[in-house]
Amino acid sequence: MHLVLLAAAVLQTIDSISPHRPPRTVAIDERLAADAHIAVGDRIVLTRAPGGAGDTVIVSGLVARRADPSEVARAEYRVRMHLDELQALTDYGDRVDRFAIATRGGAAATDSAMRQINAAAFGFQAYRSRDIAVETSRTFLVVSRFHRAIGVITIVASAIFLLCIMLLKVDERRRDVAALRLLGISAGSIVRSVMIEAALVAVVGSGVGVAIGWLTSLFINWHYRSVYRTPLAFSVVTPGIVLLAVSLSLALGLVAGFVAAQRLVRMPALRLLTGRTA
Amino acid sequence: MTDAGVSGEPLVVARDLHRDYRMGEDLVHAVRGVSLEVARGDYVAIVGPSGCGKSTMLNLLGGIDRPSSGSVVIDGERVDQMRDAAATRFRLMHVGFVFQRFYLMPALTAIENVELPMAEARLASAARQARARELLAYVGLGGRKDHRPAQLSGGEQQRVAIARALANRPQLLLADEPTGELDAKTGVEMIELFARVNRDGTTIIVVTHDEDLARAARRVVHMRDGVIVDDRRQDGGA
Amino acid sequence: MLFRLAWATLSRHRSRTLLAMLGVAVSAAMLLDMVMLSSGMRASFKDLLLSRGFQLRLAPKGTLPFDTDATIGDASDIVRVLRSIDGVTTISPVLGGQLHVVRGDRTVTATALGVIPAAQGDYEITQGRTPAAPNELVASDDFLAASGARLGDTLVAAAGYDPQLRSFTGRRTLTLVGRAHFLYMSAEQKSVALPLETLQAMQGAASRDRVSLFMVRAAPSANVDSVFKRIETALPRVTAISTETAMRQVDERLSYFRQLALILGAVSLAVGFLLVTTLVTVSVNERLGEIIVMRAIGVAKQRVVLQIVLEGIAIMIVGAVAGLGLGLVTARYLNSILASFPGLPAAIDFFLFEPRDAWTALGLLTGAGILAGIYPSWRGASLPIAITLREEAVG
Repeated sequence: MHLVLLAAAVLQTIDSISPHRPPRTVAIDERLAADAHIAVGDRIVLTRAPGGAGDTVIVSGLVARRADPSEVARAEYRVRMHLDELQALTDYGDRVDRFAIATRGGAAATDSAMRQINAAAFGFQAYRSRDIAVETSRTFLVVSRFHRAIGVITIVASAIFLLCIMLLKVDERRRDVAALRLLGISAGSIVRSVMIEAALVAVVGSGVGVAIGWLTSLFINWHYRSVYRTPLAFSVVTPGIVLLAVSLSLALGLVAGFVAAQRLVRMPALRLLTGRTA
Repeated sequence: MTDAGVSGEPLVVARDLHRDYRMGEDLVHAVRGVSLEVARGDYVAIVGPSGCGKSTMLNLLGGIDRPSSGSVVIDGERVDQMRDAAATRFRLMHVGFVFQRFYLMPALTAIENVELPMAEARLASAARQARARELLAYVGLGGRKDHRPAQLSGGEQQRVAIARALANRPQLLLADEPTGELDAKTGVEMIELFARVNRDGTTIIVVTHDEDLARAARRVVHMRDGVIVDDRRQDGGA
Repeated sequence: MLFRLAWATLSRHRSRTLLAMLGVAVSAAMLLDMVMLSSGMRASFKDLLLSRGFQLRLAPKGTLPFDTDATIGDASDIVRVLRSIDGVTTISPVLGGQLHVVRGDRTVTATALGVIPAAQGDYEITQGRTPAAPNELVASDDFLAASGARLGDTLVAAAGYDPQLRSFTGRRTLTLVGRAHFLYMSAEQKSVALPLETLQAMQGAASRDRVSLFMVRAAPSANVDSVFKRIETALPRVTAISTETAMRQVDERLSYFRQLALILGAVSLAVGFLLVTTLVTVSVNERLGEIIVMRAIGVAKQRVVLQIVLEGIAIMIVGAVAGLGLGLVTARYLNSILASFPGLPAAIDFFLFEPRDAWTALGLLTGAGILAGIYPSWRGASLPIAITLREEAVG
């Protein structure tokens, strides 16, 4: 069907009604209603082409957008009307663009129906909905891959930052470490102590990070839902994601703490204390 | 070298100095109404038990601490009332400091450490390098100029610190326990060096526990509980 | 001397300094990528739109070029009107459609453009020549690979498919005369171009004298805005689109990436800042005695601060320069991911490097380096000299 019909359709409201039949009713999408200031009960004229003759109809309902990713960036307005009325308005004849078919009886029933339809002599091609979804969701696959790449880069960067900061903080206490070593505390005890500290910092830090991430996710959804006028959730913080973030932080923190502590305990204690090489 | 000797005019005049500071809930009176005059060319040792206020006194005289009340005049300049930038500049050009822990810049070589105050005074590179070499030779470290502090012994580091303190030809040299971290032999060498610096015209005030260092001074000031309890010359002068 | 002291201090803790520089490099790479992303798409799209010199486009009313299946009728009248408008030098009408090319027992379906070969701005010939006769066409590399066709081959093509009769409509025999690079097609899209009248005839009566789009070139001496306004006035039943309007549409559709660029860029800068602040703070805390002694021996507070800040700046600058190379590598990788964005011309680069971007990133990082060093160094240099010396002696 010509979507130009939908974009060009609703620009005027007139009060003339054919005396021969009651006005038909249509449903329009809520964005169109908001932007063109149309309310339920208003009369509008639908035409096939701009400026052409058309049908007067009454708006009987408003349709909310679905939380469908494929519709997010689509700005066109939608009108829902009875099939025969649209066919008549557009001179489309007894034609449709597609049929959507629900089956009962599971995957076997779907396969059987598909085979029978494709064997029919009407030149139809039947597809499973999920196969079409794969084709139409290519955009999101690309965006997904992009996000994943950014995520990997962020993790690598975080690992380097964490190592750097742990090294600095542990280095700051080199004299304390030296004094402990001179007192007889073993290198192993010192390394374990630093790693416990690093683990605590990592766990608490990732807890704070999860909280920040959750709040940011709320903000992202609020922002993009209002920008794109959709109920779609753009960001979701799942238990799996939280577990991954905390586990990764903990692992990186432990590695960073271990590397930093090992660096210090390998150096002679007296040298750590005095800084002297001679 | 001829002994420049002690002139009659005072270089340092401290009047009724008080210094109080808080330690937790207590108010500590570190210096209580101390007045002191130090003549140009003199060599004064301030001695006393730990906590008597001698280091605090030195800091007040050098302008790195402000008195709670009283005044400090060095070479006619009222040091205690100077703003931070002016006091800093004054210290750079007129006062040299030597600390117990040397406090050399570990990342710089010996000669670069000595150059540091001269660079701050905007002396040209060639001139300050020449003077730095001269000073290092003066303190007996001419051959160690390119060594970093970590490569020098304690005594050598302190010599570099003294050379640094003399970089901008200050009239006054202040030293806080300069032999505190040195062994006896090195301490003796330091005592001789200080005496030489004084003979060459620099006024010295040193705070010390070291009896030998105190004996080498021309005048000894005893402090106890924030006040001067004794002040006597050791060089036969008035 | 301050530079010397700053560098000497950094060299003294070599591994710490190198690691901090590496951290800054990663941060700088990310920042550079985000700066490139925020401006790259726009610049790349604008270059693409203007690559053949067509500054204006006319699309069916209320639509954008090829956004819908709508077409513009009475195309010849529109061409006449356009020719009469002052400042218009070239008009390229374009009709979009599909071509089903039968190759043995299989069919290759391609996106077809009906154009006037002498005036078109949709493709560049890479081998062979542009169509000179009604029954000639050019094709993209992807089409040639899919169909196995070679230059000079005769192809049986159809413009439509009737599912009722299971047969092709609008059949023609066409000769492949050229290989072309289609500027506005997405990656892997099989594309062909043939004379406009041929495609109109193949599509049947419904497409007679109809086009999907006009591309209009204004004279170099003409004011494009004025030409745009004249076209809008003369042709109210089509939508005139200037390059700026098209850019705005792109901005809107790809605004997500610009916002992402802004957020990730800010985060990168913040992390770099945090890293340098931590390094400078630790460095100051470690060297409190040295810093205070510098003040005691007469080095001005500002110069002490400057020396410490120089350390932060040195880390930032060295890290930023290293990050430049890393950023270009990661940008190529990220661009290769986004290049497969469906529906977007393959010629669009999301990450377009311009020297200005590098300077912007470097400037931001240097500014961050200065700010990162200022507070901890000022705090350290402002400590009371006597008390700090005593604490350092005790410690």
